Amino acid sequence: MGPLIVNEIISENANMLFAFVIGIGFGFILEANGFSSSRRLAGMFYGYDATVLKVFFTAAIVGALGLLFLSLFGQIDLNYIYINPTYLYSAIGGGVIMGVGFILGGYCPGTSFSAVAIGKLDALAYVGGIFIGIFLFTEGFPLWEEFFNAKYLGSPLMSDVLGTSRGVFTLLLVIVALGMFWVAEKAEKRFARDDYKLNQKELKF
Amino acid sequence: MKALTILATIVIPLGLIIAAVPENTTKQYKLTAEELLEEVKSGTQFMYPDDVADMIIQKDPTLQLIDVRSADEYEKFNLPNSINIPLVDVLNEEWEEYIDQEVKLNVFYSNGTNDANQAWMITRQLGYENNYVLQGGVNYWAETIMNPEAPKTGSPNEEIIKYNLRKGAGMALGGAAIETQTTTKAAGPKPPIAKRKKKKSVQGGC
Repeated sequence: MGPLIVNEIISENANMLFAFVIGIGFGFILEANGFSSSRRLAGMFYGYDATVLKVFFTAAIVGALGLLFLSLFGQIDLNYIYINPTYLYSAIGGGVIMGVGFILGGYCPGTSFSAVAIGKLDALAYVGGIFIGIFLFTEGFPLWEEFFNAKYLGSPLMSDVLGTSRGVFTLLLVIVALGMFWVAEKAEKRFARDDYKLNQKELKF
Repeated sequence: MKALTILATIVIPLGLIIAAVPENTTKQYKLTAEELLEEVKSGTQFMYPDDVADMIIQKDPTLQLIDVRSADEYEKFNLPNSINIPLVDVLNEEWEEYIDQEVKLNVFYSNGTNDANQAWMITRQLGYENNYVLQGGVNYWAETIMNPEAPKTGSPNEEIIKYNLRKGAGMALGGAAIETQTTTKAAGPKPPIAKRKKKKSVQGGC
């Protein structure tokens, strides 16, 4: 059945509507998880708050498992899932720039908009920086065009590189993610700060 | 209970299941409506009777003729070495290995081209390869291969060659040409077929 848009189950316009609703939902979840706090995001680098790691890796393993199960039951054709192509140098360069911006500003692009939505001024400045960056990148594109397009690898999958099935790779990812969460929670205790309180509640059943 | 423990109890079993089951490789919707329309417009699904006749005579093992008419019609007349898969049964699992395969060249035929085209569209939509339609169907086959119309005197050379080839093919395949000509020209059938072989390479290029 899926992907809905490729198989013409929904129209292009309905697709945009779904994207809008999902986007709002994404922003809401970010804000609800405290991602609009730059201290929480920066905490990832100092080790006193690993929520960023936990939320994003949970999303990754839930998404991976969900897609594979939907495919298993014939509800989605994975051949039609868009996989962002890899330009190795761009990916590394972009990663470095974003990482520096992340630790300096305390936001990543998505969370900065989330924070602007609740009225944070530092986030507004950060968004201003994003637009300056976009302007410089676009205007100066001929200067770094070669670097930008270098080392094109197509859309490789880790499972293919490792020569395993997607299922086995996902199991490995799940185990690695849970291991990282465990380490991250140890780190949260080890690097805890007196002026910062983790607002994570214990789930009670 | 800690959130991490809860998460682990959910995702580890799911991960184990997904690692153990075989990957789903079924192709679901291989062609979009636009892509199918493009193929229909360009008519790539058609095989010409002359080419099919040639393959039959050469006993080409890759050719698989599939009669999509009813069993009755198939009993009355069918092309050599054809099998009968009535259009209504085309999705029957029994026939799946015949129509979803990568070795043979399947040619659907019906009286006209309608039913064969429908069979082709269904299989194409499923993403199956190597399925074709006999251009003109049995009716056109009877006209061109079994009872070729003699070209008028003074026709271009190609017309005459084509006629000879068709006549030879018709004779080899037991068409009407044999009945009318065996008495007068017993040795008739052979030369045209030999000639045809040469011509084939050129035809292929077109």
